[in-house]
Amino acid sequence: MSTQIHNMAAHIDGLKALFIIAMPDALLFDSWTSTKQNEWDSTQIASYFGDMVRANRQGLNVLSAWSDEMQITVETGESRLVMHELKNDFVAVAIFEARISLGMLRLELKRLLENVNEILPVAEIERRSQGIRIVDFLLRYAPDPHAVLARVSLMTGISLEQLKNPVELSDEEAASIKESAKTILGLSQIDI
Amino acid sequence: MKLLDSTARTCSEKTDFMYLLDTPVVYHCHHFNLFLEQTIDDALGWEEGQKVRFNAAREAARQLLSGVIKAAEAETPAERLQVATTLFKKMGHGTLQILSDYEGGEAFGEYLHYGYSWLQKYGHTVKQLHPNDLFAAGYIAAAVEVVYGLEPDAMLVTETECSSMKAPRCAFTVTKQISDEPFKALPTISKELCESAEITFETGLHEDKIIAIANGLRDFTAQVEGDERGLVEAFGVFVTMHLPSYYNRISYDTEAWIQENRPQVRFALTELLKESGHVCVFNTFGGILSSMEWEGMLGKPSTDPHELLASFIAIGRALGFGKWTIKDFIPGEKLVLRTPTSYESAYFTVRHGESDVPNNYFVQGAAQAIMTLIDDLDWSQEIDFSQDLYLSLFKKGAKWDTQETSSLSTGAAYTEVVVQRN
Repeated sequence: MSTQIHNMAAHIDGLKALFIIAMPDALLFDSWTSTKQNEWDSTQIASYFGDMVRANRQGLNVLSAWSDEMQITVETGESRLVMHELKNDFVAVAIFEARISLGMLRLELKRLLENVNEILPVAEIERRSQGIRIVDFLLRYAPDPHAVLARVSLMTGISLEQLKNPVELSDEEAASIKESAKTILGLSQIDI
Repeated sequence: MKLLDSTARTCSEKTDFMYLLDTPVVYHCHHFNLFLEQTIDDALGWEEGQKVRFNAAREAARQLLSGVIKAAEAETPAERLQVATTLFKKMGHGTLQILSDYEGGEAFGEYLHYGYSWLQKYGHTVKQLHPNDLFAAGYIAAAVEVVYGLEPDAMLVTETECSSMKAPRCAFTVTKQISDEPFKALPTISKELCESAEITFETGLHEDKIIAIANGLRDFTAQVEGDERGLVEAFGVFVTMHLPSYYNRISYDTEAWIQENRPQVRFALTELLKESGHVCVFNTFGGILSSMEWEGMLGKPSTDPHELLASFIAIGRALGFGKWTIKDFIPGEKLVLRTPTSYESAYFTVRHGESDVPNNYFVQGAAQAIMTLIDDLDWSQEIDFSQDLYLSLFKKGAKWDTQETSSLSTGAAYTEVVVQRN
């Protein structure tokens, strides 16, 4: 957590956490969590909500309705989650206590994200290779993640050692891993 | 017509194998069954995997049904089919309705073990792309062949609708199988064969305690049979009485194919075969030990590692896995599990001869899981054997290393598995 993010977020009433995610690979860029939420796994949260934003972008694109003002709000019994597009392909996920009204939340969030936008780097984010992205995706969503690399190895003929170091995977190998991922997850298509 | 009663199941003091009339049987849970079949399909692809599973199921079920239907003295085909479907239900595989004669027909299934338990375990996470009740399909084919006195490869059964794909029930078509090649009978693994083999038994640690617990558990499981659905839901798992010849054929045929065609991934295959045993023993043995039934029989589980180990070894014997013994045990450090009988080697040596490498993959995974159960869980607390617990323990890989240092399959007098900290 950077001091800058801490200074921007810590004083906001009802804010439980703020995650800044670099898209499209859903990598955690920076985060702040209140002391009550210390047990949260920030990297895991970034991955799952990053996937959600990516799926949302794809869905909106199909509808020709995507805009960089896109915002997703999720309400649970205890929290209100807001995912909001930032500049330079970053996304913010802010988690508020449920007691904070939507009006107050939007007001606080607008101020907060204006400040966050000011500190985001302008450099273009380099996308990770397809092989890494597919392997990460499987490790997040396969039903038995501890066994999934052995399953992929068996299905594709790619050795376990190669799969544990996916940086070296060729495009052809990445494509065959993607096919195995579809079978494992029961999906007809994977867009990552 | 005489339907089987509990005396049809026998347990051998010599081998600690279990039989239904002349056919070897074991109890296995849905974790094992699903993971093993998934591994076969991963290795061979679904098209080939389903053929291997169907053929193995038909062969294994034919051996069982030939004996059972003969013993039932059923006269008409309808009676004989009833014997087959009643047995299927009693064994915990679900409810079958077979509407076929020697020309073919159809069959329907409800609460079939594989499809139903897949939906319970994985249905909320992933989507099933193919029907997966190949064991039921093979069983139906064997039933029609035995009932009508047909050749062993006369019928082909295809599952057209499957509950794991959200169909309201499973549906099968039964047709004549046209084969270009004459049927080649393979040697079967019978009670007589298993019990006539000489074994070298060396008493291990806590033997008296193990025998007493295993006998109590056998008395208990003798009463266990499918409920009105045809399922055995106990100890937090779905249990089946199953046919080790089925498991062995699909495992070793797949291993042989991988060795010949894709040897670079044999290691991945054997790791997954071990994982089948690991996930099974972790959940089933853990579930049994923490169950009300166990508490009723033997009290709350002890926290003493030696007591826990004796209990787990006894469970292995009672489920028909073989004469498991404790050769050496240092809590937190090392387990040496030895057995002069294993259902894997009993099959492998008859079908394939001596193996070049140790290949008791189930025993390997089981021994590893036993060490995890003893060392990584707190038995003074109530333990919920959930998928979350399993994944949390193994998310970062296994903490135990397992080696099969001696194997019945390679001609040794016993199989020995050594488990040590990584």
